[in-house]
Amino acid sequence: MDKSEQTQQQHQHGMGVATGASQMAYSSHYPTAPMVASGTPAVAVPSPTQAPAAFSSSAHQLAYQQAQHFHHQQQQHQQQQLQMFWSNQMQEIEQTIDFKNHSLPLARIKKIMKADEDVRMISAEAPVIFAKACEMFILELTLRSWIHTEENKRRTLQKNDIAAAISRNDVFDFLVDIIPRDELKEEGLGITKATIPLVNSPADMPYYYVPPQHPVVGPPGMIMGKPVGAEQATLYSTQQPRPPMAFMPWPHTQPQQQQPPQHQQTDS
Amino acid sequence: MADSDNDSGGAHNGGKGSEMSPREQDRFLPIANVSRIMKKALPANAKISKDAKETVQECVSEFISFITGEASDKCQREKRKTINGDDLLWAMTTLGFEDYVEPLKGYLQRFREMEGEKTVAARDKDAPPLTNATNSAYESANYAAAAAVPGGIMMHQGHVYGSAGFHQVAGGAIKGGPAYPGPGSNAGRPR
Repeated sequence: MDKSEQTQQQHQHGMGVATGASQMAYSSHYPTAPMVASGTPAVAVPSPTQAPAAFSSSAHQLAYQQAQHFHHQQQQHQQQQLQMFWSNQMQEIEQTIDFKNHSLPLARIKKIMKADEDVRMISAEAPVIFAKACEMFILELTLRSWIHTEENKRRTLQKNDIAAAISRNDVFDFLVDIIPRDELKEEGLGITKATIPLVNSPADMPYYYVPPQHPVVGPPGMIMGKPVGAEQATLYSTQQPRPPMAFMPWPHTQPQQQQPPQHQQTDS
Repeated sequence: MADSDNDSGGAHNGGKGSEMSPREQDRFLPIANVSRIMKKALPANAKISKDAKETVQECVSEFISFITGEASDKCQREKRKTINGDDLLWAMTTLGFEDYVEPLKGYLQRFREMEGEKTVAARDKDAPPLTNATNSAYESANYAAAAAVPGGIMMHQGHVYGSAGFHQVAGGAIKGGPAYPGPGSNAGRPR
């Protein structure tokens, strides 16, 4: 029942490409590009702290290009889910008025921050901000990992799924040291299988980058006067409005579990 | 709706002292909290292996250290000693987590508003700072410990950010009614 329902939902919300990708990956084997596991594919993201990885051989180049195509297709699929995720986050935060009930212990967060010897003093608001940021980080990492779980026709999130999410997203490059190398190799095989659909059935959706869409909360004056605000204003100016994709299981789960008890509302 | 508990090998007991040494346990957030948050991102029938939970535990600690290190460097360049919320938001933007900043700005603003009220209350009560002995406990006790430890610095920051918060509030109606603007306002929540 769950599988049928999920397939139906995916089909209804225009996720047939993902389903096709999973099925193709499962049904056939693609012997080329064995060296994908040699490194993380580099994507040109404007980040000062990330140096692009150098691919010296043609085999690396081929694997790199294939991984790039797959990532583009995957980004389209992930973008729809992530838009829903961020919309829920905005709504959930809007309803938060009790800062005493954190989902993560502030003392532990502070201790982790203090592990760095250069860190001297921490304001009271810093662990509070981290409690929410870490929750978003865990949700995003888990969501991206689950995509890999589904590609492999499993229902249990495993360590190699997290390794896959880390290797596929440049923003998680700082986590590469946490994942053992054999996990990355396994992820390489996963990429090899996942790139098969691009050969048999090219993506019919045009590729273009859609920035994450957030509901505008608060007056424009809040954004002005701050460097981060300026960047946000730029982001909003380039934002393309799109109807939100209602990925049913997650909207039902997130609002109910994230809300504080006294603000729990019946959501039918 | 009851939370369907179908995770494999994951105990809901926060105390993991028997499996991890006390010092090592301090390096990570509690696995029960991490596991609970992970389930929010997954379908109801999904399962999470224990090594996946432990891996995410490590990733979160690395995330905290990663952001904190960047924020600390910024404070040193600007000859400041205390890392505050804005430094963390700046670091997240710099390190590629700009998606997190917009939700957190509203969160931080409301926290500062409440902090302003608490500063007045704290000044009235003249309560002594609490010790930071508890590690795994949170809720109000942990919050009180975190709020009281900075002491005078908190009062100073409360004053400064309180003014900023007041200015922002005066700029317009921030806390609107139950209606949510934007295309995602009705997603999964019909009213």
